Amino acid sequence: MKIEFWGQEFKANLWIGIPGAFLIAIASSMFGFGGGPFMVPLMTVAMRLPMYVVVGSSLLAIFFNTLMGTFRHYGFGNFDPIFFLIMFPAAILGGFIGPRIAKKISPIAVKRVAVVGLAILALQLLGVF
Amino acid sequence: MKRFITVFLALFVVLTFSTTGLSQQPVEQKPAEAPKDAQAVEKLEIKVDKTQLSGGGKITVTGKAPAGKDVYIEVWAEKKIRAARLDADPDPKTGKRPYIFYMTDDMPAYYRLIVPEKYKSVLEAAKKEGKKWSVSKVIKDAGADAVYGYPAKILIDRYQTTLWASIIGSRGTKLEPMDEKENKRRSMQLLKARFRSVDAIFSSNLKINDDGTFTAVVDLPDNAAPGKYFVVAKVDKEIKSDPVVIENSVSFPNVYLPNAGRTVNVLWPFLLTAAITTFGVVMGAGGGFILNPILVMLGLPHTVVAGSVMPTVLFSQASGIYNYSKIKFINWKLGVTLGLAMLAGGFIGPKLTELITLEQYKFLFGWVLLILAALMLWQTTPKYLEKNKKEQAILKEFKKRAEEAAKKKQEGGK
Repeated sequence: MKIEFWGQEFKANLWIGIPGAFLIAIASSMFGFGGGPFMVPLMTVAMRLPMYVVVGSSLLAIFFNTLMGTFRHYGFGNFDPIFFLIMFPAAILGGFIGPRIAKKISPIAVKRVAVVGLAILALQLLGVF
Repeated sequence: MKRFITVFLALFVVLTFSTTGLSQQPVEQKPAEAPKDAQAVEKLEIKVDKTQLSGGGKITVTGKAPAGKDVYIEVWAEKKIRAARLDADPDPKTGKRPYIFYMTDDMPAYYRLIVPEKYKSVLEAAKKEGKKWSVSKVIKDAGADAVYGYPAKILIDRYQTTLWASIIGSRGTKLEPMDEKENKRRSMQLLKARFRSVDAIFSSNLKINDDGTFTAVVDLPDNAAPGKYFVVAKVDKEIKSDPVVIENSVSFPNVYLPNAGRTVNVLWPFLLTAAITTFGVVMGAGGGFILNPILVMLGLPHTVVAGSVMPTVLFSQASGIYNYSKIKFINWKLGVTLGLAMLAGGFIGPKLTELITLEQYKFLFGWVLLILAALMLWQTTPKYLEKNKKEQAILKEFKKRAEEAAKKKQEGGK
């Protein structure tokens, strides 16, 4: 598929894009996390699109998934309204503080800490320790 | 932008109808009280030291049974929660997997079967079996088969599920109700699916003296549901006491989460979510990756975690889209095309959450996190950073131009 972005034309490989987005959406809605960290590499690396095309459009694609996932979880009775009401303002607060902190510290250092943290959490989930 | 709104309006309407259709489950009420046996040979009398609790606590139950008989005590909450389990264990004879999905909305939010002290070893043995322990084996070994009563009678629906049914997002074909014996057996599996550990279902805190008097301690945890609790002492099906009612109250800042089936102090999930989403934003991966596994490890059901965390990002995503669209930073064709693929994925995912067990959830999530960690590690390699630097510079330049263009347009409009 050909797309146009600010006067430039790009080719988007949908043979990779559509199955990839589909699988990411299944995992994302199944476990309840956002698909961003997987969608951005899919679109930049596998579909070879530049970052400036990807940032906005990936968010739009993920929004479809979040909306559908939310309705489906609600329909299956997995939505706890009170739990949501506690977490929602906290998530907004996090979204407000986060960017302010991010400006002050090195993103690479944060990523390295996150890698270690995620690996520990993963191994714990897998029952390694 | 107009097109975008139209697409979502249409979607909203379709979704609203599809979900209301799904959530219509047959409402059949079963009497909550334990059935009173008219032909009771002998009534057990029990006493409790208090009938009011606030935020859980200990209750001592005393009574007298015929000397030399084992007494059991059942405690259950009036509040109900959901329990579900997919039976995919191969049939021992044919080797075929049944793929039957069992679900109830009548599971008490709290259930405890207190067995005589002498069966403590049975509980210990079950604990040693790890995740493979079986409720029915404990009940049998502790001689409690005749007294296991309340959960055995809850209404359990069962569905013959298939791969195709899962794909189109249905629970499958609803099967005939089960007979009493089968319902009892399945209720034990659902008890384990919901409460997981031996200690969350059984207790051996029950002392029986030689003359038949007995003393038991019911330890209601501080995260127990508010409302009525019923206590019944039983020797067998016939000899039992009337239910004694205890009321547990919960007061702010503690609140009861109706779907998760437990009471929490609002402060903890709030602080946890705020801290993790802040870190999530800083690391650029959203908070769900860390928040969900932690909530699951804290003992919340994985279905409720997935279903309640997901909507929290709806608004931040929508505002992000709005901001990007203002500076024309979204390619609608690309976004909507991939979005439709994600829409289909988002339709299937939540169905799978319901089908998988907690262990499978942990296992799969563990691998997702390992992949994410690998991706992020790759993003800190020098080669990636150099490429990223260029990309970020272009991105910045584009954003600047876009903002200027948007500003100009606004001024021109005035």
